[in-house]
Amino acid sequence: MSVKAFELVPAVERDLLMGDKARINIECIECCGKHLYMGTNDCFIHHFLLDEVTSSKGKLTYSAQKLLHKYLGLKKPVAELRAASALERLIVLCDGIVFLVDMVTLETVPSAAGGGAKIRGVTAFCVNENPVNGDPFCVEMGVISSKKRTVQIYMVYEDRVQLVKEVTTPEQPCAVSVDGYFLCLALATQYMILNYNTGASQDLFPYNSEDRRPIVKRIGREEFLLAAPGGLGMFANAEGVSQRAPVNWSESVIGAAVSFPYVVALDESFITIHSMLDQQLKQTLSFRDGHILQDFEGKVILASTKAVYVLVPLPLERQIQDLLASHRVEEALILTEGAQQNIPKDKFQILHKRILQQAGFIQFGQLQFLEAKEHFRKGQLDVRELISLYPLLLPASSSFTRCHPPLHEFADLNHLAQGDQEKVLRFKKFLISYLGEVRSTEVANGCREDVDTALLKLYAEQDHDSLLDLLASDNACLLADSVPWLEKYHKYFALGLLYHYNSQDSAALQLWIRVVDADLQDSTRSGLYEYIVDFLCSCSNPDLVWKYADWALAKDPTIGVHIFTKRPVSKDVTELNPEDAITYLGKHSQALLLFLEHLVLERKIKKEKFHTHLAVLYLERVLSLLSEAPADEERLTRARERLQALLRESNLYRAQFLLGKMENCEQLLLERATLHGKLEENDKALHILVHKLKDFSSAEAFCVWASSCRDSAYQQQLFHLLLEVYLDRNLPGKSQAAAGGGELEMAAVDLLNRHGEVFDAVRVLRMLPEGWSLQLLRPFLGRAVRASMHAGRTAQIAVGLAQSENLQLLHDRLKDRKKPIFVSEKKGCHLCHNTFSEPDVVCLPGGAPVHTHCVAQRVRDSPTKRQLTNSSNHT
Amino acid sequence: MPEVSKMKKPDVKLVLLGDMNVGKTSLLHRYTERKFKDTVSTVGGAFFLKQWGPYNISIWDTAGREQFHGLGSMYCRGAAAVILTYDVSNWQSLAELEERFLSLTDTANQDCIYALVGNKADLTDPRAQLSQDSDEASKDRMDCGEERTETQVLSACPTPPASPASLSGITLGKQVTPEDAMALYGRILRYKGLEEKSSLPAEKMCFETSAKTGYNVDNLFEALFDLVLPSILRNKNENQQSPTVDLEECRGAKRGRPGCC
Ligand SMILES: Nc1nc2c(ncn2[C@@H]2O[C@H](COP(=O)(O)OP(=O)(O)OP(=O)(O)O)[C@@H](O)[C@H]2O)c(=O)[nH]1
Ligand SMILES: [Mg+2]
Repeated sequence: MSVKAFELVPAVERDLLMGDKARINIECIECCGKHLYMGTNDCFIHHFLLDEVTSSKGKLTYSAQKLLHKYLGLKKPVAELRAASALERLIVLCDGIVFLVDMVTLETVPSAAGGGAKIRGVTAFCVNENPVNGDPFCVEMGVISSKKRTVQIYMVYEDRVQLVKEVTTPEQPCAVSVDGYFLCLALATQYMILNYNTGASQDLFPYNSEDRRPIVKRIGREEFLLAAPGGLGMFANAEGVSQRAPVNWSESVIGAAVSFPYVVALDESFITIHSMLDQQLKQTLSFRDGHILQDFEGKVILASTKAVYVLVPLPLERQIQDLLASHRVEEALILTEGAQQNIPKDKFQILHKRILQQAGFIQFGQLQFLEAKEHFRKGQLDVRELISLYPLLLPASSSFTRCHPPLHEFADLNHLAQGDQEKVLRFKKFLISYLGEVRSTEVANGCREDVDTALLKLYAEQDHDSLLDLLASDNACLLADSVPWLEKYHKYFALGLLYHYNSQDSAALQLWIRVVDADLQDSTRSGLYEYIVDFLCSCSNPDLVWKYADWALAKDPTIGVHIFTKRPVSKDVTELNPEDAITYLGKHSQALLLFLEHLVLERKIKKEKFHTHLAVLYLERVLSLLSEAPADEERLTRARERLQALLRESNLYRAQFLLGKMENCEQLLLERATLHGKLEENDKALHILVHKLKDFSSAEAFCVWASSCRDSAYQQQLFHLLLEVYLDRNLPGKSQAAAGGGELEMAAVDLLNRHGEVFDAVRVLRMLPEGWSLQLLRPFLGRAVRASMHAGRTAQIAVGLAQSENLQLLHDRLKDRKKPIFVSEKKGCHLCHNTFSEPDVVCLPGGAPVHTHCVAQRVRDSPTKRQLTNSSNHT
Repeated sequence: MPEVSKMKKPDVKLVLLGDMNVGKTSLLHRYTERKFKDTVSTVGGAFFLKQWGPYNISIWDTAGREQFHGLGSMYCRGAAAVILTYDVSNWQSLAELEERFLSLTDTANQDCIYALVGNKADLTDPRAQLSQDSDEASKDRMDCGEERTETQVLSACPTPPASPASLSGITLGKQVTPEDAMALYGRILRYKGLEEKSSLPAEKMCFETSAKTGYNVDNLFEALFDLVLPSILRNKNENQQSPTVDLEECRGAKRGRPGCC
């Protein structure tokens, strides 16, 4: 399990350095741009020029050219070399002495007049790469001297070194690194951070430097990498806190460096490479006789005792692709995201998106849909990449081509599922849910047609409930592509909806009608017929309505007529002309009747034509029922009730015309009476009711009905007429049948007793036959007397009240006569609040002056029309 | 050398301490990945960043092995909460907390809070044996008080109940009762020189969990997150005037940049 993050490339081979002199070892190296310096155990410094060569295949090699070597004259190994390129000096540690050497000539720099260029008794030193002192022409250096428990801070100039600070340490230090004011020290038994400016210190952790060589490596601003017990690489910052988890090295690490995002470490036989992002070991390279590992300006250089190598990082993208190729999605993403700061922002975003998408496809292929979806979302995947994996889902017209290089290795779904139908189904279910989620987000921008069409196809194929929701709401499904697909899966109802959405209502209707007529099979929608009726009902195109209503009416006139009766009243639906509809409905008598009922009874349209038409239709039905033998009494009664109700309640039909139609129909006497009543032929009506029908209660009801909107005089007249009819002695046949005469008289008595209040009692008394007993008329008479008494008394009270009011007004008038009433242009009228412009005023009771016209107005408006007096001409 | 990019700085730090094998890594796994998986003894330490509302909480999992003991102080530096973990089936693991681990917490924040967590409760407490998903866990949170008292009643028996594991032949160390843990909590407060009255009560800070079944795990972490919230807010405040930034400013002033010290 490894990543290929680095490649080991030889830089300076053994021959070039020492030829055949076997005892020469490399002790230290320094690299500064193309210049590579090497210190050896025989006290030489070698200077090479290192050139990077990239082969045509992209392979990197180094070619080294020896420029110079120089013996330092101390017979001891060169322990450390550090370049101060701004000063053109190399800082050299050899034989416990630090001194300066010219970078070009390798000549030792003699001491300047003012001060020494040498420090003695040094065991180790380090250069501050992040000095607080910003002077570019000096270098700050931390120095450990062999005897005292101190660290000294020196400034190195071109020709001299200057001690600027000395801090004591609790134990003898053996390794040092510095950043800003912070010294990071390996002491004999522990690591510590020491601020040389303030003297403040912070213990890090214990470490026995006798057992293992400590490592103190600055890896960034105020952050250090330390070798810890148990072979750990620990991170610590200047505050003494670890902000990254440690990496797990071997116990014998010699050197370490960071080449972000990796920690590279060297032990006796291996180079190990850990990721700082997840602490995992990513790569191991075998390396014998490893001796030095250091990084110079981002370049990691290694040396065995005899040769030098460069550890060249592979391009990040290649590493990531390697990880993806072995399906290590998490690691690939961690690596990508970890590189964020090292890559320009826009470039990073492109890379990151692509990796997320690739990661998503890997997880998709492994049926880890939740993770895949998340990565697709974060990577802003063009959904068509996904759709295109499913054969035939993208519309033929889609301009989409898969991105290159490809985001995945799958040809299509079949390739991916390898014939496993259960898998295929799971892939499809995923796409359904994914498309369903993204179709209304910006992910679908610019490809809504492709998304919706693909979704439609999946829904249809999978018999998914949401197919109808998709089509009934805003969608971008392509008609041309969807039609054959929906037909294939017998989704005719849905197809109709799609036609409708594309403003092809006629096609929709034709299709649905074929389904209702069982030409086509689609059970999606039960009650499709009713649906079509509803559809026509709210259809805004009258031509379509005329075209398809026939079919609907033929199928079921009572429901079909809803097309006409249930049309919503709104701007979007054009009003159908009722007369046209009536003409149209001519051949559908039942529907026509329902429609007229709708117009007359529900919408209460006041048009003679409709009312007469409806009445005629009712009448025709009654007549046809009457002509049946045997008559269906129940239906007949219902039909007559309807007819009667209409005749009674409507005032718009042509009564004479209807009367003509039933003139000689002796079975429809009641209806005829009603019509006579409408024509105000009350006597004829009552005659029919009393003499032909002998239906006294109907006669009474007729009086009540016929006078219902009239004044009481009319009513009285009508009731008197009825009374007369009852008492008419001259009628032929009446004297013959005494019993019948008695019947009429009884009816008259009942009428009087029941409706006494409407009669003029005096007139009635004159009309009544002499011989009638008082007892018989007792209720009538009693009520009549009481009513007359009541009326008399009420009148008396009214008189009394009027008199008293009159008196009151007289009193007011007298009072006001005594004093003047002031009227001026500044005074307002109490009624209209305007000022007075002329002296004619009227005083209200109480004396307030008002305009004469205001009073007139008020009197006109007041219900009691009281007269006001007190007119006055005073000013 | 290029600057190594700085990590997104967490707002607050929690540290898991305790002897090896008590289940620190397993607890963190259970909480972050919601499962119990095989672990290897932790090397050095590891940490996990938890997004808690708008805050980043880093939870450090330390190594219990003696070899890495020295690193403990550093991990605890600046911690807002320390989770002292023991194994309820192993008396020694509780004793180790006091003997070895308590002193490591000297570097933690002044107002650091301490939780005592007895893990592997599934080995001793039948209720912790039911595997819990998050729903049950939240229910459990509500029942928490009631359970606590029950546990006390249970452990009020003069002799500890025979452990189910020892019946099945596995020998375990002497078990730890909640009282033992609460007594240790009292001693921790004393060690820290804290008043019992003004500190968080033992009942609230002693937990029994099972990383194996998930018992009480969410409860533990979320209770602690809530408790360190004030610490987070203070950190955020201080960050606006943190000592490191001050230093930079001073340095800037010396370089002649417009500074403000
Ligand atoms: N029965 C049971 N076993 C557990 C539980 N938690 C952890 N274990 C087991 O205990 C052993 C140690 O778990 P770890 O999580 O690795 O312990 P640790 O505290 O991280 O150990 P170090 O990393 O060495 O300090 C493993 O075998 C786990 O399976 C628990 O709640 N119940
Ligand atoms: Mg662990």
